[in-house]
Amino acid sequence: MSSRRSGSGASRITDDQIIDLVAKLQQLLPELRNRRSNKASASKVLQETCNYVRSLHKEVDDLSDRLSRLLSTIDDDSPQASIIRNEFTQTFPIIEFLRVY
Amino acid sequence: MSPSQQPTSTNPSSLKNQFAHRFIRALKTLNHTKTGAAHDHNQMYRRSIRVKIASYTAMASVVGSRRAWSRAVLWKIIKRSRNQGLLLRKRKRRNPNPKREDFNPFRNSGQELKLRKLVPGAETMDSWCLMGETADYIKCLVAQVEVMKTLVDLYSIT
Repeated sequence: MSSRRSGSGASRITDDQIIDLVAKLQQLLPELRNRRSNKASASKVLQETCNYVRSLHKEVDDLSDRLSRLLSTIDDDSPQASIIRNEFTQTFPIIEFLRVY
Repeated sequence: MSPSQQPTSTNPSSLKNQFAHRFIRALKTLNHTKTGAAHDHNQMYRRSIRVKIASYTAMASVVGSRRAWSRAVLWKIIKRSRNQGLLLRKRKRRNPNPKREDFNPFRNSGQELKLRKLVPGAETMDSWCLMGETADYIKCLVAQVEVMKTLVDLYSIT
């Protein structure tokens, strides 16, 4: 396919851009992050990416499980629960006057 | 209910904060009444699924329509809540970069297919977009996990 159509930006992806993108992805992966000496191959990065996403999904599953168990042991209306919620919302502050309700 | 006016940049702390608020709000609406000892495994399992869905939905709604993966997640939730059968027309988003269809440096890599299955909405996008979406998706997953860990720790103290 020729790249004669212009329209939305770069007409051809350069090798440098590919390398750059793979390197950026590599920076996000805990397994490969510290390998500054040699850039990992693209397929290695892809593989680690898959593994990492799977492990993150699994973590969300586990945390959801734990959380649902914990929530079922505490009455939502108790002062204890509201203390926890306040603590939580203070740990993650958002600008009050922009808050959505 | 108007959408939040706070800029949803990819600033990680802003992402976490907004996710935290939406998530805790969603959790409040979930039914967590105690039914004696939770011996019913099926019920516990269903509760856990609801928390998980609340978590992914909260994060996807913070990101909103900016990303293909978040659109895919929200769309899936909408479809689910409309009970599939009623939805007649599936809205297909046109590929914004049709010229890049031939861009496939990982053509022979089976890993790319695996990745497409893991990232929501990634099945049909070109490889270039896939990389960008994956990076954003990972950042959001990490934020999601951190916030959930904090909440679990808080509830565990008591």
